[in-house]
Parts: sequence; structure tokens; C-alpha cells
Amino acid sequence: MGGRKIVEVPVTLEVPVGPQHPALHEPLLLRVYAEGEEIVRVEVNTGYNHRGIEKLCEKNSFHKNVFIIGRVCGICNTVHTDCYVRALEHLLGIEPCRRALFLRVLAMELERIHSHMLANAVLALNVGFENLFMNIMLDRERVMKAKEVLTGSRVMADYIIVGGVRRGLDDDKRDKIAGLLDALAPRLEYYKRVFEEDETVLKRTIDVGKASRLDAVRHSLLGPVARASGVAVDARASERYDAYGELDFNVVVKSEGDVWARAMVRWDEALEAVRIARQVLEKLPSDGNPVPDERKLPRKFPAGEAYTRVEAPRGELTYYVVSDGKGPNPYRVKIRTPSFNNIVNSPFMFVGYSVADLPAILASLDPCISCMERVTVIDVENGARRSMALRELAGGA
Amino acid sequence: MAKLKLLGLSLRNFLKGPATVEYPRVPAPVEPDYRGRHYADLRKCTGCSVCAIECPANAIEMVEVPSGYEVPASNRRRVYPLIDYGKCVFCYRCVAVCPFSAYVVSNEYKLAGPEKPDSGPLSLDTLSRVGGG
Repeated sequence: MGGRKIVEVPVTLEVPVGPQHPALHEPLLLRVYAEGEEIVRVEVNTGYNHRGIEKLCEKNSFHKNVFIIGRVCGICNTVHTDCYVRALEHLLGIEPCRRALFLRVLAMELERIHSHMLANAVLALNVGFENLFMNIMLDRERVMKAKEVLTGSRVMADYIIVGGVRRGLDDDKRDKIAGLLDALAPRLEYYKRVFEEDETVLKRTIDVGKASRLDAVRHSLLGPVARASGVAVDARASERYDAYGELDFNVVVKSEGDVWARAMVRWDEALEAVRIARQVLEKLPSDGNPVPDERKLPRKFPAGEAYTRVEAPRGELTYYVVSDGKGPNPYRVKIRTPSFNNIVNSPFMFVGYSVADLPAILASLDPCISCMERVTVIDVENGARRSMALRELAGGA
Repeated sequence: MAKLKLLGLSLRNFLKGPATVEYPRVPAPVEPDYRGRHYADLRKCTGCSVCAIECPANAIEMVEVPSGYEVPASNRRRVYPLIDYGKCVFCYRCVAVCPFSAYVVSNEYKLAGPEKPDSGPLSLDTLSRVGGG
């Protein structure tokens, strides 16, 4: 009778962001703990898009896997294939001709341009500038077309194969790609200027989601995210795989470490990629047939293991392939993608910013969820849902 | 001044119409060597099944040629590759590995439709019917 009612009002609210389209159209759950507008803690929960590709690779032959590996991620399919194919070439001891290596670089750089354009377009969308998103996507069509001319498909290139590439490049196609790049470069410059000058973009991105150089190293961030924090890490420069050793390019580094710096690193890298692609078109050597006959590729792989890495648009991507020399299938294929590394190590970046900044910060990491779903269980600290005292959070975050 | 410039830009864009291609009312041309619909030419196919074994998407099934078709003598088992375009990823692995270069390629990409698309009718059309029917 007349018992006291106690209404508990939590000081910290849990806001689930995702798993349906948190910032982009891919499933990822960010469990955000907010105090008013301020984010005090973020837990990343992945595993909504796990497809078991590594296991699938063990069940299929080495050569079939080239096409399965390409489907790990749509946006960066040629870098995945290149990394895997280089591991196979290492196992077999095959060295493709230089022309093939140059063509691989061309395909990968075209892919880098369209990946970076997409990332920045999504960032523009998330800061509330939908028109800019539309315009970037419209101009992105040019590079998609260039990729179609080169590889035969707009997105899924299926271009790189053991011993070379799957189709050559004649002079007509070369001129066509050069023309498309000439039309694209001024647009990239223009968008870079928009990101430098436009008030909407600046207000939403400057000093948001900061990661210092120390943070980047401590959380082993990769790719443009690390380079925007002043860490010059680039597998193209350190490994000089394929034809990168013969090409001249700069590693773009910025020191600000915020969302804006990441966007700018991507624009600069896209421009740098245009420069690399032009160099490839100019310097393309003719030292042999880059297209091997797929019917005559070796079926038997000797026992051994190979570890390769490439610089994907999102950072360093590594493949570890083990062959037991017994059958036509690999014993193990281990994929380590940069998105996974960047996303699960990202929660510190959100803390202290408002809930409205979250989509911008997430988009600036350019998460590729289907890339990173290699494992099903991930948690940031000890994983369990728990309530925390405000004081504890203030001290612990 | 800046506002006037912006107004001019908006008006120009407004009069220019949409920038997007109004597919399918306007055709969206692709390259001639775009990887589109492909099927086996059964005059060359020997039913060896290499394409079905090598298909990364398991989209190819070897099925029997229905009676009433004249099959070349090299195809003793009377089977041909039936491609399920719904499963196919258009990597052209089958085209590349076929020992008899039996695949016919095209840049046809408009494959969406109400019925389940497969390569059966296209492949069978390459054969002549028994009795000239």
C-alpha cells in the first residue's frame, strides 16, 4: 500500500547505431554510450556479414580461389586478387612479365581512385551535403568506365591471374583510359578544393574524431587513417611490389589527424593515383605477352607457404597462403584486412564528440564491412554489456 | 555577388535537366568486350565438363541434350553446360578454360527479368534439329 516507486533514470544512455546501415549500407553495430550529446564510450560489434570465405578457399582449388578472393570485397577486389595471386606466384616460383606487372598497377590505381571517391562521397553524405555526394558519384563514373575498358567489368575486375593479367591493353584502350583520366583529374582537384573551402564540410570535419600520431601507432591504424595522423605507412613504398618500384609517387601524409585530414589524404592519394596511372600508360613496357593461357597454368602447387602484402585503398592488406603440396586446394588462406584493424581499434576516436559527429567519424575510417568479417566475435574490452557509474566512465574513458 | 553567381549556376543546372542517364529509357552503352552473357556453342562443345568443374560460383551444371537435336559425334555423353545466370558471377573462367574454345561471348548485360534466366535456349539454338524440324 502506497509503496514507493523508484524511477531510475540512467545518466548514460546506450544508443545502438546499426547494425542496419550505421553510416553506410553495410551491417555493423556501434554500441554508443552517450551522456546527453557527448559520446563517452563506444563498443564495436561485428559479425553480421560473416560468409566464411577463408573456409571456402580451403574447399576450392588454388585457381578457383582467385575469383572467390575477388569477392571478399567489391570495392577493393583487384588488390585482394593481386595479394593472393602474388602469394601463389611465390609458391610456384613464377615471375610475370613487366608489362603484366604494370597493367596490374594500373588496375589497382584505378580502383584506388574510385574507392577514395566513394569514401569521400559517403563522408559528404554523412555530414549532410547530399548534393556533393551525388556530384562525386557522377564523376566517379569516369573511373568506373576506365576500369571497364581495362578489365571488362565496372566493379568486379577478375583481372589478375597467376602469371599475368587476363586481357591486354591495345593502343585504342590506352587512349581511351588516358582521355578518361584527363577528364577526371580536374574534377578531383575541384572536389579537393570544395573540401578545403566549403563551410559545411569544414564545420563538420575539422577537429572531429582526432587521432594523434601516438594514437595511430598505439592502435596500429593503417592506410589513409594512419597517414592522416602523420604516420607514413604505405606498403607500396616499403614493399615496392609489382611495378611500384619503377614508378614515381609520393606517400601522402597529413598531421592533423581529424576527419578532414583523412578526407584530404584520400583526395591527394586519388590525384597521386591518377599520376601513377598516367605513368603506367606512358611507360608501359612491351617485354612479352601479359596474358597467360589459363588452360596451361600449373595445377600442382608445391608444399610451402607465402605471406604477401599490398596497400589496399583502406590500408595494408595481407594474405598468408599455405600449401601442403598434396591436393589442388590450399591448406589455409588467412586474410587480414585493413578495415578490420581500423574499425575494431577505432572506439577511442569517438569519445568526447557528439552523437551527430559519429557518422562522419565512422565514414572517415572508410569501413568496408564485408572485407573485415573474417571472425565472428569481437569486442573492445571485456565485451559484456554492463552499466557503469558516471565517475568510472569519466576516469576510465 | 556570390549569391548572384550561385543563382545563375542553379538556374543553368535547372534548365540542363538531370545529369543521370535515364536508363532504361536511354541506352547505357557498354564496351564491346564487356563481360556479358555467354553460352556454349554446342557444335564445338564435347561435354568434357571442365567449365562446370572450374566454375567458382557453381553456376554451371552439365545436363543432357534433349532428344530431337543432332549432337556432334565428339560429344558422346550428349551433355552440355547449362549456365544459371542468376548464380553466374561473369568472371569468364569457363570461357578461358574451355579446351575447345566453345563459348560464345557477348556484352549483353540486361539479364533481369521475371523468369529464371539460363543458357539452355541459346545453347540449344546452336544445334540443328533432327529431321530439319
